[in-house]
Amino acid sequence: MKFRRNRKEADLHAELQFHLDEEAAERAASGVPEAEARYAARRDLGNLALVMEDTRAAWGWTFWETLRQDVRFALRSLRHNSGFSLLVVLILGLGIGANTAVFSVVNSVVLQPLGYSDADRLVTLSSLWKSSGPGGNVSVPDFHDWHDQSSSFEAMASYSSGEIAVVTGPAAEFAREATVSQEFFKVFGVEPVLGRFFSGQELKPGSSGAAMVSYAFWQIHYNSDPAVLTKKIRMANHVLPIVGVLPPGFRFPGNIDIWVPANTIFPQPQNRSAHNLRVVAKLKPGATVEQAQAEMTAIGNRLEAEYPKSNRDKNVAVAALRDDMLKDARTMLYLLWGAVAMVLLVACGNVANLLLAKASTRGREIAVRAAIGASRMRIVRQLLTESLLVALLAGGVGVLIALAGSRDLVALAPGNIPRLADTHIDGWVLGFAFAASVLACLLFGLAPAFRAARVDVNEALKAGAARGVVGARSRLRSGLVVAEIALSVMLVAGAGLLLRSFAALHQVALGFHPENVLVMETSMTASLTPGEAIPLYKRLLGTLASVPGVTAVGATRVPPGEVLSDGAYFIDWAPTIEQITVSAPQAVYSVVSPGAFAALGIPLKRGRDFQPSDTPDAPFVAVINEKLAARAFAGRDPIGHTIVAGLDSLKPMTIVGVVGDIRQRGPVLDSDAEIYMPYEQHPIVSTQLRIVARTILAPEQLAKTVRHVAREIAPETPLKFTTMQARMSENLAAPRFRTLLLTIFGVLAVTLAMAGIYAVMSFLVNQRTGEIGLRMALGARSGDVLRMVLARGIWLAAAGLALGLIGSLAAARLLSTMLFGVTATDPTTYAAVIVLVGVIALAASYLPARRAAHIDPLAALRQE
Amino acid sequence: MHTGLDLLQGTLDLLILRTLLFGPSHGHAIAKHIQRTSEDKLQVETGSLYPALHRLEAKGWISARWEISDKGKRAKYYRLTPKGRKQLAAERSRWEQFSSAIERVLNPEEL
Repeated sequence: MKFRRNRKEADLHAELQFHLDEEAAERAASGVPEAEARYAARRDLGNLALVMEDTRAAWGWTFWETLRQDVRFALRSLRHNSGFSLLVVLILGLGIGANTAVFSVVNSVVLQPLGYSDADRLVTLSSLWKSSGPGGNVSVPDFHDWHDQSSSFEAMASYSSGEIAVVTGPAAEFAREATVSQEFFKVFGVEPVLGRFFSGQELKPGSSGAAMVSYAFWQIHYNSDPAVLTKKIRMANHVLPIVGVLPPGFRFPGNIDIWVPANTIFPQPQNRSAHNLRVVAKLKPGATVEQAQAEMTAIGNRLEAEYPKSNRDKNVAVAALRDDMLKDARTMLYLLWGAVAMVLLVACGNVANLLLAKASTRGREIAVRAAIGASRMRIVRQLLTESLLVALLAGGVGVLIALAGSRDLVALAPGNIPRLADTHIDGWVLGFAFAASVLACLLFGLAPAFRAARVDVNEALKAGAARGVVGARSRLRSGLVVAEIALSVMLVAGAGLLLRSFAALHQVALGFHPENVLVMETSMTASLTPGEAIPLYKRLLGTLASVPGVTAVGATRVPPGEVLSDGAYFIDWAPTIEQITVSAPQAVYSVVSPGAFAALGIPLKRGRDFQPSDTPDAPFVAVINEKLAARAFAGRDPIGHTIVAGLDSLKPMTIVGVVGDIRQRGPVLDSDAEIYMPYEQHPIVSTQLRIVARTILAPEQLAKTVRHVAREIAPETPLKFTTMQARMSENLAAPRFRTLLLTIFGVLAVTLAMAGIYAVMSFLVNQRTGEIGLRMALGARSGDVLRMVLARGIWLAAAGLALGLIGSLAAARLLSTMLFGVTATDPTTYAAVIVLVGVIALAASYLPARRAAHIDPLAALRQE
Repeated sequence: MHTGLDLLQGTLDLLILRTLLFGPSHGHAIAKHIQRTSEDKLQVETGSLYPALHRLEAKGWISARWEISDKGKRAKYYRLTPKGRKQLAAERSRWEQFSSAIERVLNPEEL
């Protein structure tokens, strides 16, 4: 811009010089001497500077030149009030930073496209049960029928995944494995970066199989050496050739290291009642989820009619992959986004208030500008430029805060949110920060700017600087404070409800004692047959029992907090596989060793625990929990009856004991009926047990000893250590995350709102100094003044509280899925919020009120 | 510093536009042309001429380009744009209405 203007200036110079030359030449031609002609020409032109000035005026100020002028002026004004500017930039920066940090997570988790080609055509298919809704696992025959009978899909694949032990080098370790059907990679449109896909031979059911590995696995375990294609991997007691490496970033269905063809090394039960698979598919171009759903519903109905026993009340649900992946995470992130946006609103209200206060001292400056001819729009524009500059500076600060904040957010967030780890500050996030800054500028800057520009020049110039501006500014300011309080009440109420839920989650009677329990994950699958694993576990448990500091030790297939298998049970009746129907009562299947109940602190209510004599040769036995006992026996003694569970066989088991109920599916969900089976009698499913050891000291301190013992007995077994309490804590990661964040946002908002009350009350007291002085001179006591000012503060707080409570009740519905043990209208929470906000508001108005009460009437009146 | 008639506000624009109808010309020549054709009755002041030229250029009625004058010097030549041509017609008819109105007021008996 400047360059262009300089050129124009030079142009004008040259043009006028040409005019002078021309004029002089003309005069010289008519006989006037050269020097005189020049002089005359110059005189004729007149005041050169004025001519240039007038001409320049004809160019007009362009938008950019005005902007430049405004920015320069704004910068000067900000520097002039550096303390004030810093405060405003910090308040806003905090608001924008918090918003940007939350947005960076929302952006990567919810908004960014999935990193697969044609990701919008990817869908999941699941069993849709009449009783429990969509999302159910799928059986192998169902999957084949879905695949063969449908026409909406370009490709459809089934998969199942888990963590198993693999041996690539000297020692076994845990790796995440997915067993996938033929079209799996076609669904995602990926090509191996090295090697090839599974061959037809390798895909054949019952073949020896092959493995494809992730890019990361290739880098870590094979040093990115192309010779990986000559290497073999050992897992599940098979040796698999590595045939391909997948591109970086492809880890579906979640941090997978190794993919193997379905039904090769892991035989799949070909039974319509065994639901073990997940299904993904890619829609044909142009096909919609709705069309696919309609087609699949028809297929589901057909299957239900054809196989009533296994498929009654079962249909098919189709959902976009993205929706299926996000599920609850989306609701939670949008909630947090909304909450943090409210914090920004409160910050904007606060800054608007500060600017209004500032405007009262700038009234004179603005009046002078208006007096010398600045139009109202021109002044508004100037003030808005100043606001925008502040907002952009705050945006810069916000991005810095977000850089640190988004890392912390990711660390705090529950680990099961997909794509959370991809969170970073990219162009979208920066764009968001910029947009938030501009929006904030309009929010906090518009009202004060228009208010200030409506200045009455005469009044302002006549009056003293302090009372330079007329207008009912205090009403606007009070309105802003009320809005701030209302918003922060909503945040605090939400935080309060979540805090109460969180406390309730911690007070849940889990049914076991998670304190002082060391958990060691093991996997014997790499190179042992199931039968060979049992003796190792037996020796391991025996040795660990004698380690000093261990009071009880056992093994369990799944510790409390998750469920691996569940299914039907039958009392005193041994059905054949055909007789099992989906309508039979359901229970959780658990497999434990003797001592596991004691180690976990699950009380034995009747009968006995498992014992070493419960071997495969001995009569089959089971322990049930109280819920199952109550449901199936209704007061009769269950001991001695038989029960059948379809875990690995349909052999009847004699019930030998009853234990207390535990929250097996995590603290949020109620206890289920549960059947415990002794591990020795179920070796097929007892190859990846978790050792649980109750310790006297902190369990972490024993990890080293336990690892040493385990390494000696089972050197090829990968080990992972954690504690029962850490596992429970993981279960609560999502509630903890949202509770913590909402609490932080609530505290921030309340702090800002209270600063707002303080500021507006101080302003009022200042403005009414003369009036207060007069009242006191006429006999009002300082107590009266104190009460008068406090009453005003209380009025503001009460109005804000009332509005905020109405807003909270309206918004609490959004929270209802995240509440536990409290209702969305919990009176205790709301009472606490009223007391809290009321007390703080009172405190914030007390200081200005006390100052008012100590006004010296003489000084105040003289000032007037 | 000049003898002759003061230009009415706005008429300078009209005269400039009219002058440029003959073809591109630089500031000095425009002034001289107005002066000559008005038989020295109208004096164009430099202090008004250049602001007027730049204003007309900003409005898009005339455009400017540096060219070599017939005396071999670089000069800024102005020319009429199509927009300016339309403007000239409008200004001209307005002026004619204006001057005939004045005429009627001054010489009512001729009606």
